[in-house]
Amino acid sequence: MSYLSLENVTKQFGDAVVVDNFNLGIEKGEFVSFLGPSGCGKTTTLRMVAGFELPTSGRITLDGVDITDKAPNQRNVGMIFQAYALFPNMTVAQNIGFGLRIRKMNSTDVHARVDEMLNLVNLEKHANKYPYQLSGGQQQRVSLARALAIRPEVLLLDEPLSALDAKIRVSLRQEIRAIQKRLGITAIFVTHDQEEALSISDRIVVMNVGEMEQVGTPFEIYNFPKTQFVANFVGSLNNADAEVIDPANGILAMDGVHFKTAEEDFASRKKGDKVKFSVRPERFSFAVEPKKDNVIDCTIENITFLGSVVRIQIKIGNTNFNMDTFNNPFLELPAIGAKEQVMCSKEAVLVL
Amino acid sequence: MASKGLRKVVAMSDTSFDVSVGQGAPGKKRWSLLRIGGRFWSWVWFILGAIYFLVPLFATLRHSLRMERDVLGFKAYERAFEDPSFLETFLLSNALAVATIICSAILIVPTAYWIRLRLPQARRIAEFITLLPFVIPAIILVFGLIRTYSTHFTIPFTDIELFQPLTTTKFGTYALITAGYMVLAMPYMYRSVDTGMRVVDIRTLTEAAQSLGAGWFTIITQVILPNVRSALLSGALLTFAIVVGEVTLASFLGVDAFGPYLFLIGQHKAYEPAALSFVTFLLTWIAMGMIQFVTGGQGQATGAH
Repeated sequence: MSYLSLENVTKQFGDAVVVDNFNLGIEKGEFVSFLGPSGCGKTTTLRMVAGFELPTSGRITLDGVDITDKAPNQRNVGMIFQAYALFPNMTVAQNIGFGLRIRKMNSTDVHARVDEMLNLVNLEKHANKYPYQLSGGQQQRVSLARALAIRPEVLLLDEPLSALDAKIRVSLRQEIRAIQKRLGITAIFVTHDQEEALSISDRIVVMNVGEMEQVGTPFEIYNFPKTQFVANFVGSLNNADAEVIDPANGILAMDGVHFKTAEEDFASRKKGDKVKFSVRPERFSFAVEPKKDNVIDCTIENITFLGSVVRIQIKIGNTNFNMDTFNNPFLELPAIGAKEQVMCSKEAVLVL
Repeated sequence: MASKGLRKVVAMSDTSFDVSVGQGAPGKKRWSLLRIGGRFWSWVWFILGAIYFLVPLFATLRHSLRMERDVLGFKAYERAFEDPSFLETFLLSNALAVATIICSAILIVPTAYWIRLRLPQARRIAEFITLLPFVIPAIILVFGLIRTYSTHFTIPFTDIELFQPLTTTKFGTYALITAGYMVLAMPYMYRSVDTGMRVVDIRTLTEAAQSLGAGWFTIITQVILPNVRSALLSGALLTFAIVVGEVTLASFLGVDAFGPYLFLIGQHKAYEPAALSFVTFLLTWIAMGMIQFVTGGQGQATGAH
């Protein structure tokens, strides 16, 4: 049995089903992200683990103990909020020591533990400052230290980086991940930012309107999305309509252009079926190997420079696709309007 | 006349409270001719407002200093302070004010907190109730209190007596008048506390404290109270000003408070009431200055949230 498990957890607010029959087991020391658009139920699920919401039905167990109906202050979980939620009337050190004082730890031990935590998040110099004297990133690190000070069984992070600016967001997420690994603590991280989820997690749970769409490692989620929603939500994607031409050999046609797919159950489709297929922009490249599965004629429509990546809009048949290629100073880009050939492997053609 | 003077004290402390808690000082003064044009009207209104408040105050002060013919002196103050009833009634009113503030805080902080946290739909009702003392005169409140609590109170349809008439004992009367004052102070206390809670995100702070293992008592005393302290002190100051100058409740309940005392000497003496009015006014201002001083750092802490 998993360390933290949610079994058939459902949450309704009135008639609205916010979380529908959620099942998940999380192993000790694992870092799991809940990823999805706003309103998908990811925060509600997290709040049920924290105890701020009670499930309408289902069961949550932590280390073999049923915690479904336990009050939040009876569970040993650490919570980190988007709005930091530091106590404005207390200094950094007092904030970190709050949970320890509640646990009636003696003041020498509190002091030692607070110092240890300050050290962990590199804020030793700021121990006696008030939250309003710190930057957003520093405040969130205090909040991390405060949550970890009580040695929680699970660390819950509710969009902790959303209020921060881009650079701090990246450095803090690396810091969070490094600390989580060092302490071996089990963590659930809620986010709507796919890049964040992909970069930080052991496993990702992609959610949509209260339901789990797919659970898997970042690699699986990105490269082998199981549903149209996951494919679209994680990473960017070209979508197009096509018709099945040859189910046995995985051939489909869009605007008369043939694509070959490696999709497993494609053979079960019938000739003439309408399907949707998708290709990630980075799976296209300019054709240099004529033997590749898909070598396709196209016209260059537009070129956008995005820094590390150059996005090229190409027209295949009557449909526009995006194609991404890494930037380098010696890159020779085709002219707009030029006729070119692009290629992609049959594994890159996703039929969902 | 004396009671009118006191009313003014209450009214003035009310407005100056708003000014001090609101935008504060109007920024740096720049006296260059170009800049002053934009601020001209603000200054006109400010000066007019100041005159409206300061002239009666000045008149009171001047009157109080003229007890002896043709000399300005503190004779009226000496006389007023010599009267032992002054100190007695003044101390009693102060004690009642402190009791009112403590009881109000105990009642209102958890109420406002709970409404914000769990019953946001009840906020309108709560606001309506807290505004009732503005609509219903104190005289109606005091007659209601007297009618209800001057008889033996039994459980309906039985002979089981719940409590003795409160108005027959000194302690009972003090309890009754404190309860009455709590009603009168409710609009100020509730609103300032509620506003204070809006400024700090109490819901998230509560959840943070809960996840760290805190129970309700700890949350209210260690997290909520300290963060609404400045709001609570503002409410407390207004409560203080109201209670110290209140006449209606005290005179009908027969409590020898400062309000009725001022009223009484106002009817018999010419200069002392003015002196006392001025003194109460000064005390209010000192209290306000102290609150500003005490909450200065705290206000910044919560304000920067």
